[in-house]
Parts: sequence; C-alpha cells; structure tokens
Amino acid sequence: MLAALVFLLLMVFGLLMRAAQGGLVALAPDLFYRILTVHGAGMVGTAGLSGAAIMWFFVNRHVPLSHAVYVAFLALFLAGVVSILGAVFAGGFAGAWTFLYPLPAVSGGAWDPLAAVVFLLGYVAIGVGFLLLHLDIGRALISAWGSIPRALGWPLVFGRGGEAPPPTVIAAMAVTIFNTIGIVVGAAVLISSIVNLVFPGFAVDALLAKNMIYFFGHVFINASIYMAVIAVYEIVPEYTGMPWKATRLFAATWSVVLLFVMAVYPHHLLQDVPLPGWTMVVGQVLSYYSGIPVIAVTAWSLLVYLRRAQSLAWDLPLALLVLGVAGWSAGVVPAVIDAIVAVNRVMHNTLWVPGHFHTYLLLGEVAMAFGFLLRLAAGERFRSFTGFDRTALVLYLAGGIGLVLTFLISGAASIPRRFAVHLPDWQPLALIGAVAASLTVAGALLVVLRALSSPRAREAA
Amino acid sequence: MQPVVLIITVLAMAAIAAVFAWAIWAPPGAVDPERAERWRIRTIVALTLAGVVLAAMTLVPWPHAPQAGPTPGIVVHARGYQWYWELDRDTVPAGTPVTFLASTADVTHGFGVADPQGRLLFQVQVIPGYVSRVDWTFDRPGTYRVICLEYCGIAHHEMMGQLTVQPGV
Repeated sequence: MLAALVFLLLMVFGLLMRAAQGGLVALAPDLFYRILTVHGAGMVGTAGLSGAAIMWFFVNRHVPLSHAVYVAFLALFLAGVVSILGAVFAGGFAGAWTFLYPLPAVSGGAWDPLAAVVFLLGYVAIGVGFLLLHLDIGRALISAWGSIPRALGWPLVFGRGGEAPPPTVIAAMAVTIFNTIGIVVGAAVLISSIVNLVFPGFAVDALLAKNMIYFFGHVFINASIYMAVIAVYEIVPEYTGMPWKATRLFAATWSVVLLFVMAVYPHHLLQDVPLPGWTMVVGQVLSYYSGIPVIAVTAWSLLVYLRRAQSLAWDLPLALLVLGVAGWSAGVVPAVIDAIVAVNRVMHNTLWVPGHFHTYLLLGEVAMAFGFLLRLAAGERFRSFTGFDRTALVLYLAGGIGLVLTFLISGAASIPRRFAVHLPDWQPLALIGAVAASLTVAGALLVVLRALSSPRAREAA
Repeated sequence: MQPVVLIITVLAMAAIAAVFAWAIWAPPGAVDPERAERWRIRTIVALTLAGVVLAAMTLVPWPHAPQAGPTPGIVVHARGYQWYWELDRDTVPAGTPVTFLASTADVTHGFGVADPQGRLLFQVQVIPGYVSRVDWTFDRPGTYRVICLEYCGIAHHEMMGQLTVQPGV
C-alpha cells in the first residue's frame, strides 16, 4: 500500500513536469530538475520495492524467509528515502537519478557537495537493504533446493529429471543472482563517487563510472519487472484454474534472461564512441533477443492460459495483471528500436526514451504491482467488475497510452528529454501529455481508493 | 528516418495490443496446448532469424565514424561547458566532409546537431577525459542547432548553440 501511495505521489510530480514543459505551470528550472530527480529515483526505487514485496510474499509461500531481514530491508529503504528527499528538497541536489559521474561533484554551484553525499548515501542504504533481502532469499532457495543450478531448474533443462521447481523459485533465484551482482557494482561506483565528493583529488575514469552506473541501473530496473511478474505466475492460475507450469522452455528462458539482463546494458552507451564498437554490437543484438522471452514465453503462456480457461471471472486485479504483461510486451518494441545503433543516433536522449520506459513501467510493472496490491487487499477474488473498477482501468489505460504516445511522437520530432523549458514548437505535445498524465493519475487514485476500501484494509482500519 | 521509425513502432505495438485484445474478447474456443507449443517454437525461430537479418541490415555499414585515422575534410573542435558550447568555427560549407571532435571541460554532455527544421541529425556522448568524433557532410545551407542531449545540471536546457552551413563552392 505504501508503494502504491508513493507511485501516486510521483505520478503527480510527472504530471507537474509535463504541465511545466507545456507552459501551463511555472516551475523554476532548478525546482523542475529537483522534481525530475525525485521522480526518477522514486519511481525506480518504488518499482524495486513493489517488485521485491511481490517476490518476498510468494517465495515465502514456498520456503520460509526471515521476517527480521524483511523488516531491516524496509527500514533501510525508508532511511534511504528520507536521505534522498532531504538531499533534494533541503539540499537542492538535482543530479538526476542516474547521478552521472562527475555531475554530483560538479554542479556549477547549484548544490552543496554535502547534499550529493547524502543523496548517494540514501542509495547505498537502499542497496544494502536489497542486498540483505536477496541474500536471505538466495540462502532459503539454496537450502530448499540443494544448489543454485537446481533452484534454476537446470536438471529439467538438461533432461536429468527430478522435481521441477515452481516458476516463482526459478524466477526468484535468477533475479537474486543478477540483482545482487548489479547492486554490488552499483555500490562500488556509489562509494567511489562519495569518496570523490569528500576528497576531490580522488578521481574516477568517467567512462568506467558510466558503465558501472548503467550496469547497475539497467539491472535494477529490469529486476523490478522480473520480480513483479511473479505475481502473474501466482495469481493468474487462481482465475484460470490451471497452475503456471515450469516447463523446460520456461526454466531455460530464465537462465537466458539471467545472462542477457547483465550483458545487454551497453545499449545505454551506444553514443559513447570511445568504447570499442563490439560493445555496441552486443548491446544492439542482445537487446533484440532480450525481447523474445517476454513476448514468446511470458506473454504467449499468459494468452494460452487465458484462452484455455473455461470460464474466466474478470475483475480489476486480473485485468491489471494482464495489462502489466501487455504493457511490458508492447514496451519491448520502442526499446528494441532505440537500441539499434543507427536509430539511437537520432532517437536517444529525446523523449522517445521516456516513451519506451513508461510503456513497460507505467503500463507494465506498476500495473502488475497494482494488480497484486488489489488481490492482496481483497483477501479473496473480487466478486465483480464494478463500474468503479472499469472507470479506474479505462482512465489508467487511456491516460497511459496517451502519455506514452505523446512521448514517442515527441521523440520522433527530436524533442530532447530532461529539458525544464520547452521551445514554443514543442509545447503542444507536452500539454497533450499533461492531459493524458492527469487521466493516469485519476485512474491510479481510483485503484488506490479501491484498495483502501477493500475488506482487509477496512479490517486493518 | 524518425517518422518511419515512429510508424513501424506504433504498428508493432498495436499488433501486440490486438493479440491481447483477441485473446481476451474472442469467443471462447478450444485451444490445443500441443499446437500452441508448436507455434510458439516456430515464432521463436522466426524471431531469432529476423534478428540476424535486422542486425545485418543495420550494423553494416557501421553507423559511427572511426575514432582514429585521417580527417579528410574540415575539422571543428567542439568543447562543452556548463552550460554552453564553444566551437572553434561556427561556419562550414555544405557538401564538404566535416569532422567534429567533441570534448568537455567539466561533466558529461551530449553533442547533438539538428537541422533548420529541428530534426536531429546525429548525437554523440562527450565524456570527461575523452574526445568523441563525428563525421558529417551537410547537404543544405542553413542555421543548424547545436544542442546538449545529456543532462548536465540545472541549466541543461539552455545549452544550445548555432552552426551556420553556407552554400558550398
């Protein structure tokens, strides 16, 4: 519920930024970039939080996990949020969620280095929390299944028989491996940046730091989606009456995903020409092939299960979970296209980029998280798809599609991303985007209200 | 290129949405799981082969300029500062190869050039400690916009300059 409320607040920040770019609201550039920083860091962090909550909840059904570690994870997350908000709104830090070295230390006099240190320490706190959570989940899965390869379903993949782990176990094991590696690399570049802020004589190679930042950022945001999809594996079968099976293809695909998620990160660096050309080839080629598991495995299986179900009682949680997979699948297209080196040259760092990541986050991960929240809050399946629920879904979907399309069209019109002030020619699209964003906010608000009015929420109250 | 990319993208996204809509709203019908699996494998094979074709079509010739080697035409040194561009020459002729050597004095910037209609022609990241090279031949005279495409601080949006392309000799 906390994650849903934070999502809602950060969506309002997003709406505010599009309204400012459209000239509808006056926002001083420094405030715009602070809001941009909080919107980015907050959305990535909250996507991670909601994904981790889904993974923890369902893994705990299969193997016992430590509640103390989960409480420590939440406490560290909260400490990180307080640090980040303090650094941004009290300290004036506006270095964007990507904290691209050496920007935190070289702000042009816009913020104090102490604010940057506090911001980066907030990330470290959140990262340590995730690391604890992943280590606990990894420990529990290895204890229960005997080894990492068994938890990944390799005996099934290589035809050696034995009991296949549930899909949740395979997914959680894979995510635990790649997100742990990503967070460790992130911690290294965070600490290096902090040391650079405290002792400016300590310098880091900027290109190496960028590689590490984007490796960490790419892996972390992907992990949030791959954790959230566990909700689909676990909840959809309650509607279809058919368990989501861990087939040989399913297990093999997760091992491929485990490698691809880490190897594909150079697609964020396709304009970093001092890098060897082969890294860009890897980034482009693996970006394309990373989309196949999403479309031909996850989405395909979901659609087959839906078609095979004899009688499907649709309600808002199921609709949001299905929307989440649809949004994730559709978001693959503009992401893969942006990862073509020749296209990236004219599309990257335009509004095309928020166009693709809002597709698989707003209409993907966040939709899955909302579906999980409603399912959890209801305690049992909703008894009907009420008019209120339909309104919430239509507003969220229509707003999301409108927002994404205006971003993509703006990107095709070469409008840069992360600009506080838009030229007059660019403003109409920003205004349409703001209208769409307001619909999304309204839809999300109705989803949150629905969760608050659910039986479990009323009991808690 | 951009309009074509947009159309292809939106059509492909719409196709995926249409498949989901069909699965949800089509009248219930018997689905043979084995047949669905066969078609899944065929789809994976087809997408895998399509990826090879796409890579071959888009990676050859290599889209970026060689970062070392001779510079046959005019050389323009572009240096990024928070928050302006400094070009050692702001006028170049049309029809002559131009090599941009972009560097930065402070943080990472993105060196991009848009044509007089605002359409982005190219961009390259400019990273502290490195020089990034772009080769380009302008085919039309006009006033081109030099723009920063990597967030570089609270006046990032003001980091715009101009490059004049004069009629070639």
